[in-house]
Amino acid sequence: MSIVTRQNLLAEKTRFFISVGGVALSVFLISFLLSLFRGWQLSVGRFVEKVDADVWVARDGTTDFLNAASVLPGEMEADLEAVPGVAAVDSLIVRPMNVDVEGTEQSMHLVGYEVDGGAGGPPKVTKGRGPPGPGEVIVDDAFADKAGVGIGDALETGGHRLEIVGISSGGNLIFSQTSFVSLETARETLSMDGLSTFFLIHTDDGADAEQVSADVMAAAPIVGAFPSNQFAKATRDRIMKNLIPILFVILLLAFVVGVAITGLTIYNATVEKQREYGILKAIGFTNGYLFRLVLEQSLATGILGFLIGGVATVVAAQFIADLVPQFVTLVRWQDFIFVFVATIVMAIIAAMLPVRRLATVDPVAVFSG
Amino acid sequence: MSITARRPVLEFDDVTKVYTTGDLSVAALQNISLTVAEREVIVVMGPSGAGKTTFLTIAGALMRPTSGRVVISGTDVTALDERRLPKVRQEKIGFIFQSFNLLEALSALQNVELVMETRGVTGRGAKARAQELLSMVGIDRQRNNLPKQLSGGQKQRVAIARALANNPDLVLADEPTANLDSQRGREIMELLRMVAKELGKTVVAVSHDLRIRELADRVLWLEDGQFRDISDEQVHKSLHD
Repeated sequence: MSIVTRQNLLAEKTRFFISVGGVALSVFLISFLLSLFRGWQLSVGRFVEKVDADVWVARDGTTDFLNAASVLPGEMEADLEAVPGVAAVDSLIVRPMNVDVEGTEQSMHLVGYEVDGGAGGPPKVTKGRGPPGPGEVIVDDAFADKAGVGIGDALETGGHRLEIVGISSGGNLIFSQTSFVSLETARETLSMDGLSTFFLIHTDDGADAEQVSADVMAAAPIVGAFPSNQFAKATRDRIMKNLIPILFVILLLAFVVGVAITGLTIYNATVEKQREYGILKAIGFTNGYLFRLVLEQSLATGILGFLIGGVATVVAAQFIADLVPQFVTLVRWQDFIFVFVATIVMAIIAAMLPVRRLATVDPVAVFSG
Repeated sequence: MSITARRPVLEFDDVTKVYTTGDLSVAALQNISLTVAEREVIVVMGPSGAGKTTFLTIAGALMRPTSGRVVISGTDVTALDERRLPKVRQEKIGFIFQSFNLLEALSALQNVELVMETRGVTGRGAKARAQELLSMVGIDRQRNNLPKQLSGGQKQRVAIARALANNPDLVLADEPTANLDSQRGREIMELLRMVAKELGKTVVAVSHDLRIRELADRVLWLEDGQFRDISDEQVHKSLHD
């Protein structure tokens, strides 16, 4: 790094810190949004992935866990068990709904599962006990945080009272959280006697989930059947496909803000030091060398801003989920490489803004006294 | 051995510079021919608008003449591509300015070191040479001072050290004493004379300052774009009018 770069940066400390702060803010926004995106991407599909099932069966037209509008007759379970490759079938009731928590409405996904070993229950009970008995519920820890409830509290819906007996983790769907009751409690609460939302198929050892899905749909034309990984992907895509354009616009805006702040400060610094650049040209510095000086200043600003913004992201990611349960983040080093490259691009663009100005600096002007 | 027999460092051969703005053309220099030898100190004087700055910027390879040939240390700079001129300035020319033109964010030492960056000399080598040059011009204790912490005379001494950093053959000085009192101005001119006589450089200064004439080997009078022979009385009258 040239001594001119070092001294120029340090001579105007306020401007330097404003510029570094602008880049740090931009880096923080970009990397935090990316970590949020990764966290959401992981959380939304993870519950479905963790459910011990090879094939999900839903009413035709229902393609994912979140849009759980499927209603299937309970007796279909026996028909499914007769399909080749099917080892066992569990019933699952899932319904997005609002519950009353001490006068406040809270949204959640109520999940009714076969508590005597059926799939689709809480991934991990972290507090209290499970499985839930009649009139009992296990809520996700993110829901407990959001609604401010704990073991012993009650959720009320449609004249039914569900007492919280356990807290689980791994069921945060970001925009909603899972709460688990027995299949019977779910049917009673939701007036779904003899009905299910999904059937969860366990295939025979060595059976192909794709083939079993196809056989299920052939045997029961009113249903759609999906291998577990496809169902998880469809669940994830429902959220992420809507979020990606919004995230992309915000990421772009954060990038533009970074370029604008760095670019303007670098441009202003160049204009203010135009005479000094003229002196350097007069004594033999080339336009290329002067551009290098500006680029070094821009890169130094960018790299320092990246470090500050990166540390701020890691720190914020540690604490933000405690404050806002929906803010599930996942900080990946691969994303930091992407953000670092974006920062370098930002710095290069910012340095290019005054290039024309540098090229037109007339060294003869320094002779005017 | 006469001065003119020494190696020529700056040669102007029938140089003309015409500035054109729209339909208006003004000849700042007209058919100037001049040879300045090594170790020579010349002062170019003349009234405002006589073409002194144009002369200096063409001599400094900062501007091309409209016609004629300029040779600096054997290199015909008028035949060179524009992109090669910075290298000529780095290697063959040192500049001293009326308003010193030191970089305000850099210390005296760094101002001198900086010039060597253009030739890839950095680190301890550059620092040692910068210290040596600053000692030579009498800036020892103040070498880590910023320009704003130096007096005018000290700034001009730093500027002289900077001009010598790349060991050029030619030192061009634009009104080097204009912003200094008579005592400091004389010291600066004595220093420039030492640079020519002891270090073997060629010094070309343009100035209004009559006091420095006695330190020059030659004084050239530039008026209306041409060198003229005029008497001392006419010089006084012309500069004071």
